[in-house]
Amino acid sequence: MRVVIADDSVLLREGVSRLLDDEQFDVVAKVSSPDELLRCVATETPDVAVVDIRMPPTHTDEGLVAAETIRGRWPRVGVLVLSQYTDTDYALRLLDGGEERCGYLLKDRVLDSGQLADAVQRVGDGEVVVDPELVARLVGRVRPESPLDELTPREHEVLALMAEGLTDRGIGERLFVTPKTVETHVRHIFLKLRLPESSSDNRRVRAVLTYLRN
Amino acid sequence: MRAVRLLVWAAGGALCAGMTLALGPVDQPDVIKHRAVVYFTLSFIAITIGVIVWDRRPDSRTGLLLTALPFVEVISDGKWIFWNHAFPVTLALACTVLYVPLFAHLVLSYPTGRLTTRLDRSFVLFTYGFAAVYALPYLLVFDTRAPHDRFVYECFDCALPVTHVASHDINGLTDALDWTLLPLALVFLALLGRKLVRASPGGRRVVLPLSIAAFLAVAQFIAHIALNGSPDTTWKDTSWFWINSLVVIGIPVSLGLGLLWGRTARSAVADLVVDLERTPPVGVRDALARTLRDPSLELALWLPDRGTYVDSHGRPLELPTPGPERAVTVIGEAEAPLAAFVHDPALLERPGLLEAAAAAARLALENERLQAELRAQLAELRASRARIVQAGDEERRRLERNLHDGAQQRLLGLGLALQLVRVELGPHANGASELLTEAEEELRAALDDLRDLARGIHPSILTDQGLAAALRSLAERSTVPVSIGAVTEDRLGDPIEAAAYFIVSESLANVAKHAHATTIRVSVTRRDENAVVDIDDNGVGGADPACGSGLRGLSDRVQALDGTLRVESPSGGGTHIHAEIPCGS
Repeated sequence: MRVVIADDSVLLREGVSRLLDDEQFDVVAKVSSPDELLRCVATETPDVAVVDIRMPPTHTDEGLVAAETIRGRWPRVGVLVLSQYTDTDYALRLLDGGEERCGYLLKDRVLDSGQLADAVQRVGDGEVVVDPELVARLVGRVRPESPLDELTPREHEVLALMAEGLTDRGIGERLFVTPKTVETHVRHIFLKLRLPESSSDNRRVRAVLTYLRN
Repeated sequence: MRAVRLLVWAAGGALCAGMTLALGPVDQPDVIKHRAVVYFTLSFIAITIGVIVWDRRPDSRTGLLLTALPFVEVISDGKWIFWNHAFPVTLALACTVLYVPLFAHLVLSYPTGRLTTRLDRSFVLFTYGFAAVYALPYLLVFDTRAPHDRFVYECFDCALPVTHVASHDINGLTDALDWTLLPLALVFLALLGRKLVRASPGGRRVVLPLSIAAFLAVAQFIAHIALNGSPDTTWKDTSWFWINSLVVIGIPVSLGLGLLWGRTARSAVADLVVDLERTPPVGVRDALARTLRDPSLELALWLPDRGTYVDSHGRPLELPTPGPERAVTVIGEAEAPLAAFVHDPALLERPGLLEAAAAAARLALENERLQAELRAQLAELRASRARIVQAGDEERRRLERNLHDGAQQRLLGLGLALQLVRVELGPHANGASELLTEAEEELRAALDDLRDLARGIHPSILTDQGLAAALRSLAERSTVPVSIGAVTEDRLGDPIEAAAYFIVSESLANVAKHAHATTIRVSVTRRDENAVVDIDDNGVGGADPACGSGLRGLSDRVQALDGTLRVESPSGGGTHIHAEIPCGS
């Protein structure tokens, strides 16, 4: 899988590059600014671009803006945004550009090469990835009375994994159950939360995140 | 000088009386004699008003011109009454249209008595020349064959003509001179209009009565020339006689009205003293503006410590350079002034009034100055407090950036290095692998702490995504359920957004710690020019803003932005926090 890395810190750029290299990814380019990134995506058409959210010149959300541009111009290129912010708004902004081939991951994940590689692979395969910590906070959030109270513990688990972007098959593998069982859980969850059922695995991420947030 | 004026007045009286007495033997119908008596009486009143104005305003030429005008008109009437005496007839002929330049001079130079523009000066000079030229042919010519109703010419051999040319030979010339008066009158009206347009509002009010009278006089003049071919009015035609009389008296009366205004203004100073007793300090300017009848009056108070002028609110004020638009009068000594009036230049015409008003208002002005000084200090304090808060916010942003781009990147780099070490060690380094896992756990905790720290110092999402997103993020983290109501989508500016954000975040923290609440409602709305923050909980209440640095700090922050923060927290009744911050500045 061909990967491009954009981060203005040399240390992280090189580190992430080596990690992905070890995991058998083909790192075709490493760049340090949004402009270089866009040029590079245009020439290399990688499978996935791994983009730091803070990049020059203002070090605020340039990475996210670049990601939005890539998703608009090259829909076949997956984008994984690495961020230090646990705010849901940033993740939802990324999902606004379309609910496939994208991911929002906390930068801490580079400390676990397996997690990072898994996320890159999933984005490359066309899935959505949302950082588990962000989802855990949304799911565990205190609420006044809510339909969420009606969910069984198992359904809670499935809900969280859905929000992280996993497919029915992915959820089944995590929970050691068959996809058929997962499908049943998902149907129950949608029923209890009164959400319109979604045909696609990916399109439900946004619905679930938005639901959890309000 | 007063003796001269008295003498002139007496001469005017004697002239009018003499003319009236001389009417007796003249061979004219009684009705004309009666009208002449009326006319000379009005003329004497006009002369009297002129002398009074001259006396009150010796430095202005207006009084002199106003006296001269009826004088020459009466003299020019001598040709009808002393028709068989050479000297008065000659004098009368010489003065025939002298009233034209005198009138133009008077009106265009009112109220200063000085002609200010070059155009006005040239025009008035030209009319003086014209009056001289106009008299010449009449002085040089006599004609016994003139029609009887212009009887005066029958006696031209009793005047002092130098040549004996028959007047019908130069009829064309005299007619032409008469008709020339028409364009002159029109040019005069144009100049008068220009003067009115250019005058300041106060100046216009002074000039307006005389201008109206002058306009009517010139209109009658034009009508008379157009209908009769000559500016000479006789007393035979009833309507022309009365119109002419009205014009004669209208000019001095309208001018006298302007003076009367000056008188009432003087007495208004007395009212000012009473007014100032009652008015609050800020009302001093208004009271003065009323007294001086200048709504545009500005009051500049001198602050000796700063060496600047300020307005009543303590805001620095730059005095304008005096000119035709604004005039400046400094109150007090030049080196150590008390205040300055910036006013309509028309007020310069009555320096006495300005002085009287300033003297009456002196105590109030002193008071006003002290207040202004206090206000100026307060404004400075407020500004410096706002600057301090702003500098604090900047510093927080910088710190947050440094934490993210410095410490966090380094920790992550360290983590990556650990990953690579693990790869290098391979799967068989048992002891080392455990140590590595431990180090990674520590590192993760450190990164978490660092992220929370950076977030508490300044939330990036507030700058990047705005207040609504930042508040949603706060709500997601709260340990007490928060419902976010309406939150304005407008960007309110960094200091206001930061204040609103920290009010909410501090309040949520307080509720979580003390209130035992089960729900919190938050909203941020725009009301008029204010951002309004409301936070309600259903907890135990009893929060005291005086204790606890959190609420106190918030209150300071809001006040630095000229806003207000109110905390209502009855025991057992929940807590309501309400903040209003102006967004105008």
